[in-house]
Amino acid sequence: MSVSEFTIPRQWQSNKQNPTRWLLSHVKRHWLFVLGVLVGAIGNAILAAAMPLLIGQAFDVVMKAAPSRHALYMLAFWIAVTQIVRGGVLQLLRNGSSETLGQKIERDIRDELYGILLGKSMSFHDSYPTGDLMARATNDVREINLMFNPGINLVIGSAMFMIMPLFSAPMINPQLVIVPAAYLVVYIFVIKAYLRELSPAAKAVRARFGQMNTALAEAIDGVEVVKGSAQEEHEIGRFVRTIVRWRDAFIVQANIEARFIPLLLLGLLEAIGLMHSLLLFRAGQIGVGDVIAFNGLLMLFGFPTFVAQFAYSRVSSGFASANRLLELINNADAAMDENITGYDAPMQGDVVFDHVTFGYQRHSGGDSQTAQSESSALTLQDISFHVRPGQTVAIVGQTGAGKSTITKLINRIYDVNGGRILVDGVDVRDWNLAALRRQISVIEQDIFLFSRSVAENIAFGYPGATRTDIIAAAKAAQAHDFILSFKDGYDTVIGERGVNISGGQRQRLAIARAFLTNPAILILDDATSAIDSETEDKIQQAIEKVAARQTTFLITHRLSQIRWADLIIVMRQGQVVAVGSHEELLARSEPYRAIFARY
Amino acid sequence: MGFFYGLDAEAYDRQYSDKQLVRRIGAYFAPRKKLVITVGLLTAGLSLLGAAQPFVIAHGLDLLVADRKRWDVLIGLTLFMLVFGLSNWGGNWLRRRLTARVIGDVVTELRTDAFRAVMNHDMSFFDEFRSGRIISRITSDTEEFYQVVQLITDLIGQVLLLVILLAALFTVSWPLTLMLIVLAPLVLLFSWAFRRIARRVTQRGFRVLAEVNAAIQEAVTGISVAKNFRQEGTIYDEFSRVNLQSYRVNLLRGYTLAAVFPVLNMLSGLGTAILVYWGGLYVLGGSISIGSWYLFIISVDRFWFPMINISAFWSQVQGGLSASERIFALIDATPTVHQIATRPVGVLRGAIDFDRVSFRYSEQVQVLDDFDLHIAPGESVALVGHTGAGKSSIAKLIARFYEFQGGRISVDGRDIRTFNLQDYRRHLGIVSQMPFLFSGTVADNIRYARPELADAEIEVVARQIGGGEWFDVMPQGLDTDVGERGSRLSMGQRQLVALMRVLVRDVSIFILDEATASIDPFTEMQIQEAMRLILRHTTSIVIAHRLSTVRSVDRIIVLRKGRIIEEGDHDALMARGGHYAELYDTYFRHQSLAYVEEVGRRRHASAPGE
Repeated sequence: MSVSEFTIPRQWQSNKQNPTRWLLSHVKRHWLFVLGVLVGAIGNAILAAAMPLLIGQAFDVVMKAAPSRHALYMLAFWIAVTQIVRGGVLQLLRNGSSETLGQKIERDIRDELYGILLGKSMSFHDSYPTGDLMARATNDVREINLMFNPGINLVIGSAMFMIMPLFSAPMINPQLVIVPAAYLVVYIFVIKAYLRELSPAAKAVRARFGQMNTALAEAIDGVEVVKGSAQEEHEIGRFVRTIVRWRDAFIVQANIEARFIPLLLLGLLEAIGLMHSLLLFRAGQIGVGDVIAFNGLLMLFGFPTFVAQFAYSRVSSGFASANRLLELINNADAAMDENITGYDAPMQGDVVFDHVTFGYQRHSGGDSQTAQSESSALTLQDISFHVRPGQTVAIVGQTGAGKSTITKLINRIYDVNGGRILVDGVDVRDWNLAALRRQISVIEQDIFLFSRSVAENIAFGYPGATRTDIIAAAKAAQAHDFILSFKDGYDTVIGERGVNISGGQRQRLAIARAFLTNPAILILDDATSAIDSETEDKIQQAIEKVAARQTTFLITHRLSQIRWADLIIVMRQGQVVAVGSHEELLARSEPYRAIFARY
Repeated sequence: MGFFYGLDAEAYDRQYSDKQLVRRIGAYFAPRKKLVITVGLLTAGLSLLGAAQPFVIAHGLDLLVADRKRWDVLIGLTLFMLVFGLSNWGGNWLRRRLTARVIGDVVTELRTDAFRAVMNHDMSFFDEFRSGRIISRITSDTEEFYQVVQLITDLIGQVLLLVILLAALFTVSWPLTLMLIVLAPLVLLFSWAFRRIARRVTQRGFRVLAEVNAAIQEAVTGISVAKNFRQEGTIYDEFSRVNLQSYRVNLLRGYTLAAVFPVLNMLSGLGTAILVYWGGLYVLGGSISIGSWYLFIISVDRFWFPMINISAFWSQVQGGLSASERIFALIDATPTVHQIATRPVGVLRGAIDFDRVSFRYSEQVQVLDDFDLHIAPGESVALVGHTGAGKSSIAKLIARFYEFQGGRISVDGRDIRTFNLQDYRRHLGIVSQMPFLFSGTVADNIRYARPELADAEIEVVARQIGGGEWFDVMPQGLDTDVGERGSRLSMGQRQLVALMRVLVRDVSIFILDEATASIDPFTEMQIQEAMRLILRHTTSIVIAHRLSTVRSVDRIIVLRKGRIIEEGDHDALMARGGHYAELYDTYFRHQSLAYVEEVGRRRHASAPGE
């Protein structure tokens, strides 16, 4: 078992060696339904083959010198019975089993994946853009469901339909096995060649549709710039080029689909099969009923011919999805364990950076196009400083200078590459991970609120909190008044990503959330940027009150916060260029002086 | 994932009669008349061939039953089947190729028209309608449209075959034909009822799947919060509940959909049994031949398949028509900005006059009423006021993004409505609050409106700001990829690039909506430097959020509810102690150095020990 920051206890384990084994280990737990699919598919094919044989017998009955109405009646009766059993029992069994199998596997895999994602380290999450993870957890998981149902269901079903004539044709006359057997061999080659040709063409169409969509979205979202710079014609030209590229790919794919050779093959099969049966009929080896039965059997090949394209591509894209998911699951980059036996004690808030070096690891899974800012090239180089319990530290520097990175190392969201970080004199890597993180609260730049009630959001880090605690925290964060102005007060449910509240309000909710956990170390990453002067006053006072007791890190653009910090760290391109108090830095640091000089 | 996304009505939607729609659609196909007719003829020919095949086989069977030794019949039948197989395949090949060509062209034209219409709309259109909806009309609705066209051409072929076949079968034996179609109403009724149920369970399935996806999205985006607070367990429980619910709902949906073909197969088997028995009796009674009996039996499948499709026909056609209706509504929506002339602009000095202008966004409250404002050439003004005071409306009217309802706006004394709009906007430099960057490099974005600029020229301009340090700190300097919509740059860097975009052009009027969010003090300094370069010799209108800006402009215009209530420079206005002083307290005070000192005093007062 790989290391993980968080694990969910469950009764089953999957085999993660390769996609096939992984899928099989999931399938194995639902073997009853696999059996249902097989029994249903085989029975279905047998009864489908029974119909032409029964029809052939009916012709023989009618053409006899002394035809029996009763025999004809019985044959018709059996046709009805076999087909009703076939549809009403066997096909239902097959489809129902396969449906259940697909849904169960989708459910299990999604659950497994979700648990694993929660246990992955932050560097893992950084290396995959949100959109990419979302696509895998939703579409790829669904693809696996579709791979079983209808994909594999149809593949098994059509395989049975192709094999069945090999058994039933010889029952009419042994020679009659030749044409179906020959067809089967040629069919496998032809369909393989067809799919090999089609799949890149279909991919190209999807890719170009995506490009067209992107171009369109960009032009529309940036329409103000387009109009403001009078570039409408330029954008129309650009968009038209992407449509034309889509159309060309679309026509290429359509031409391949139009040339569907298996259809030609089916036509040849029917012609040659008819000829063969008529030759045997002419030679007196078989009767009219046999000719009819045999040609009826050949019709069974229609089903595999027409579903082939659809079924095989389902299976192959299901495999591709399984591959992508497994790659995600088995990515153990910078995995951290929970370190349950590690150091666990009430934290004082003494922080030491001792020659710390750090670089983000970019995984190939994170498409370079969409990776976020503060990117790969950027590292922290040889950072050293000492913060005593209760001090307030302001970290200043341009975007990308590495300010946020420093804070993420303290609660061990990432591990350093060189040097060490001590909290209360203990290396963070020797702390019990839960104990470390529980006593450090981070209020992030991009504040995330869950789609739950305001109260639940505030109590997120401390689920046992009473309503009184929550209200006290909200009051301290200057959030109480605006919360009461909501329709349902503290029970107001926040919309997706907190869209129905303003940026300043979100920041205050996040501050309340952090206050409630009463951490020993509080980290505010540009957390008051969207707040106006009036609220700013109150929040600053609240933070000051907390900061007097706790070690506080402020990444801030506010001069008032920088000015009065106990310690100011000025950063530039991953390096500390100056450390000290305001007075010291005014005397020593040219860039620091510059930002205060402009007023 | 919105399965029904884009199906909601928009204000510009209109009702077209079916006749109008068909004529509109027809107009797109008309230039490809020859191809369309060829496809039609091919379809008819293939249907005829498909209907003829069972008759030929049946006739051959009769001849062979009479005399099994006939070579000519044996060879004839084989040859016929070979020719049939070949021409069926070849005909379909040609038909599908041509159809794809026609559809590809029509959809290309439709999308181009829709996009051109959208690009020519004014900004009020984009305010009102979400971009996602507009996009889905141009991409998904056209996609739906062509898929329906494809389905319809396939279906027409099948229906044609069905009609020919039935007509021919009637001449052979009408009682057996009736038996063949006796189950048809049952099939149609079943398909129709099933479709209704399927739609309902599918809708529920999609809805609950959307919930699962939302739960995953929340976990993926909120993972750092969960980790910071060590609360992975609680969000897992939440997800697990939704996942199980999704499983149950989707299983129900799956069972429903899984039942349709088995039931249809049962019915078709029953139909065959009926024809085997009665057909056999008719042969015994001497009213039909063996071949004809066989003809009816093999017709069952040919009959059944189109029947299933026909039941879906109308809803599909309606889907296609309403998709096309949505596209045409988008194309036909009328822009509200109306130019009375399109005169070339020439050289602009940048004098701006608002003369008794009244303005409101569509149906909403009046923003400006009887509004007067004069801005001299080269003057820089800052607009300040609470949200809704009319600051951005003034800026947007100057950019001619919206139509005003009364009065007159003139630039250099010429009515703004008489300009060639594109020509006029070439003289404007506009930077919005959330600057939009196109994907590409920093340099690409700077030269957006002047594609001919060389890298070296861009660098010269860019070095004017802080010696170029602002782009030196980016990983690849001016060649740094800005990411989707500029996501890889900070807000401050985006502002800088947007200002650069204006700096490389020689504009007469500069319009800036400052960012409200705070920007790090180092980047902030560089932005101010860039602004100073522009403000110095350009008529400038700034919607101000920065203390440094209001201090550096020639004139501050204080707005309240669409009226100018105070004017002057910062110190004069502060001295008056009016609305501006109030606004200062709300928006600007905490940026001042005085405030920094005030915080210090407070800290010392509350913690005298420190």
